[in-house]
Amino acid sequence: MTSIAANSVRHDEFQDGHRHLTVAKKKPGGRHFAARWSVILLSLAAVGLQVASLFQPWWWIKLYAPQYPKGLKMVISLTGVSGDVREVDILNHYIGMATMEKAAAVERQLAGYGIAFLAIAIVAVALLAGKRLNKLLAVVGFAFPFAFLADSLFWMYRFGHTLNPEAPIRLPAFTPQLFGNGKIGQFMTFAQPSVGFWLAVAAFVVLLVAAFARSRVCAGCAKKGECGAICRDGFVGPKAGAAP
Amino acid sequence: MQLSIGKALVMGGAVLGVAVAAASCENKAEQKATQAASGALGASASLKQLMDSRGLSEADVEAAVKTYVPGGKADEYMIFASGGHSGQVLVIGVPSMRLLKVIGVFSPEPWQGYGYGGESDKVLAAGKQNGKSITWADVHHPNLSETKGDYDGQFLFVNDKANGRVAVVDLTDFMTKQIVPNPLVASDHGGAFVDPNTEYVIETSQYPAPLGRAYEPLSEYKNKYRGVAMFWKFDRQKGRIDVEKSFAVELPPYTQDLADAGKLGSDGWAFINSFNTEMAVGGTLEGKPPIESGASKNDMDYLHIINWKKAEQLVKDGKATTIKGMKVLPLKVAGEEGVLTLVGEPKSPHGCDVTPDGTAVVVGGKLDTHATVYDFAKMKALIDQKKFEGKDDYGVPILNFKEAIRGQVEIGLGPLHTVFDDKGFAYTSVFIESVVAKWSLKDLKTVEKLPVHYNIGHIMAAEGDTVSPDGKYVVAMNKMSMDRFSKVGPLYPQNFQLVDTTGEQMRILIDAPIGIGEPHYSQMIKIDKLKPISAYKPGENPYTGHVDPAAVLKEKDAKIVRNGTTVDVYMTAIRSHFVPDQIEVNEGDTVNIHLTSLESAEDQVHGFALNMYNVNVSLEPGKHENISFKADIPGVFPFFCTEFCSALHLEMAGYFLVKPK
Repeated sequence: MTSIAANSVRHDEFQDGHRHLTVAKKKPGGRHFAARWSVILLSLAAVGLQVASLFQPWWWIKLYAPQYPKGLKMVISLTGVSGDVREVDILNHYIGMATMEKAAAVERQLAGYGIAFLAIAIVAVALLAGKRLNKLLAVVGFAFPFAFLADSLFWMYRFGHTLNPEAPIRLPAFTPQLFGNGKIGQFMTFAQPSVGFWLAVAAFVVLLVAAFARSRVCAGCAKKGECGAICRDGFVGPKAGAAP
Repeated sequence: MQLSIGKALVMGGAVLGVAVAAASCENKAEQKATQAASGALGASASLKQLMDSRGLSEADVEAAVKTYVPGGKADEYMIFASGGHSGQVLVIGVPSMRLLKVIGVFSPEPWQGYGYGGESDKVLAAGKQNGKSITWADVHHPNLSETKGDYDGQFLFVNDKANGRVAVVDLTDFMTKQIVPNPLVASDHGGAFVDPNTEYVIETSQYPAPLGRAYEPLSEYKNKYRGVAMFWKFDRQKGRIDVEKSFAVELPPYTQDLADAGKLGSDGWAFINSFNTEMAVGGTLEGKPPIESGASKNDMDYLHIINWKKAEQLVKDGKATTIKGMKVLPLKVAGEEGVLTLVGEPKSPHGCDVTPDGTAVVVGGKLDTHATVYDFAKMKALIDQKKFEGKDDYGVPILNFKEAIRGQVEIGLGPLHTVFDDKGFAYTSVFIESVVAKWSLKDLKTVEKLPVHYNIGHIMAAEGDTVSPDGKYVVAMNKMSMDRFSKVGPLYPQNFQLVDTTGEQMRILIDAPIGIGEPHYSQMIKIDKLKPISAYKPGENPYTGHVDPAAVLKEKDAKIVRNGTTVDVYMTAIRSHFVPDQIEVNEGDTVNIHLTSLESAEDQVHGFALNMYNVNVSLEPGKHENISFKADIPGVFPFFCTEFCSALHLEMAGYFLVKPK
């Protein structure tokens, strides 16, 4: 098995004076090896979670009014809004609010590419970034759900502040509630995050762990600032007699 | 082979499974049935058990007891409700909310033989517009005749919004006696409201159009399009509207909406709310905003205040012009002479209801959260002092809003109509919020809101628009029923909800599905104010109120008289035969059947139907009908009785033969 080979090689290396991982002292080729793999697996898991979130609802908004005893539900995902959108659009026209299809049109188009970009970025950072950059993992993980929240908030604000003055009912500008209970006209609204958002948050948590693990990799190595999860010396196996 | 055995086994298993499932289902159903039977019918069954088996709460049972009217007992009140598109009027008992009758008004109604070959054809024919027979209507507002501001139970008036018509229903026999088409308007809405002594039936137009329905392009909207307030003179003696003595007041092309007549101190005045004072005409194909937007631009529209007594005098003085044979008081005169005054009303209002004491007019905000209470005395004083804020483009004086109102009541989203009780409370229907808001007339404060199901339009209270409302009941007339009834396809019944207003809190007693059209307004009258007949005078023609000259009061007087190509059949109907029962005519003859019911006993009704000639009349006891048609189809046509009158009802028949040319 390669691991045995790697261990033995590393052991040699350790004897050679090149100390890649302090723990390796105690268990040569053990923890640093596990940490490396965990960085890679966690990063891939995060990518998996993010990709999965693309196919899950991120947010839902429920509206209740007397004449809608079952309520109206809008499900927001990265690629669009589904549910009782048509009915909500019809109602919104009375107050001159834009139709849902106009919300985040570009973002929705780009969501798939965005996820692909994130996946590549995460894998690249995980594998290649040195210690100084490894925090990027967490930043990227955080940026994903945060960007969604910020963008949603932006659109909520925009929709509530660009009401058509020609509308039959004129309301003062407002920002629809993005979280929790709100009230618009006869509607009680309730909004909260859904599976997709939590998957993205989970991906962030996973990436945090990955970043932490990454910081443990090569903690004792002189080259720890240079190499990524892929160590030219350690991960693919050091060259015998390599310079310290 | 093996495969097929396996298949057979699987299939057998499946069949067995289904059979077992079915058997167990049956067992369960049987068990349930026996349980229910023992609960409902068992001698020891208690009310509690019954409630449990039907899943009823104590409140449900209380409501049921409050609305249950055993057979043989009469309801306390009677509702006359618009039948909406059906062109009919619905008669409903309260508190049972049972449908008692459907009165044919603007559209033919076969059971009453209304519009199927008899005298009633003339009533419907009088309702033609532009010579065109219109067999439907958008029935909106039934109004009972009043004496001194209180219902007298004699007549009912109702308007057809779609085609600008007003009808008179006689409440002695619950039959429509007259339809008056308004030749001036394209549609109406604010009708058919009466003044406290039913001198006039008020009908105001809705969508402005050139008076007399002439052509004018929409670019001429402001100059040539107009509204009118029609005052149809009612001749109570004759029980008919007297078109000759009626008059109209020309109004600006604001979309006049609902109307009401003043009472007591404000008698002699009428009030109309309006929307679209913006005069928007749409143009959606050209990218212009639809009327719904255009008509909602202004924050204020205009309440129209009409001094109709003065208008009546001016018309008498010859100040009216004549359009399409109708006397119309011109807008200019109306504005100058103080007949018409305007006052602002908050955004796209709806509802216009005079309080029982006649001192105020309540207008709902629709797009404003308030109901505005206009003070008649203040408005009258301002008009008398000519204290105007300005004039509109047509020279009509405008009162200052703040100076004209008593106050505003914070109601909620979409207040529409208001009715009143006997304890100083008003009840406003609130459409968007889907509630009934109860508020105090004294301090203009909302005291309670009752959710109704759903989207309430009109609201009505027991005699709630008279000078002495009864209280007790309010009916919420809801536009949507959603989850309230069993599903009957995508066109859902409307929902009348009877609300008990006697307790601390309002309570819905019962939902009544209305599956015949979209009703608008209705009125509720104490049953003892109505004096309906149970039979006509022998030989009476219901449309003249007299014994018909062609009535046949004795069987021996029945005969067939031929005069050239006209055949007059003098016919009688009594259990269980017609005399004559054989009629033979020639193809092309004009046939007049003068048919009298010789019955006098209560509920002893016959019908007369002639196959293939679209003839069916109802023969209530004593009634005389004149049926007239051309015998243009040769052949053999049995005629027969269409009410199951007796054991030998099926034998109550005869033959009508048309000899071909």
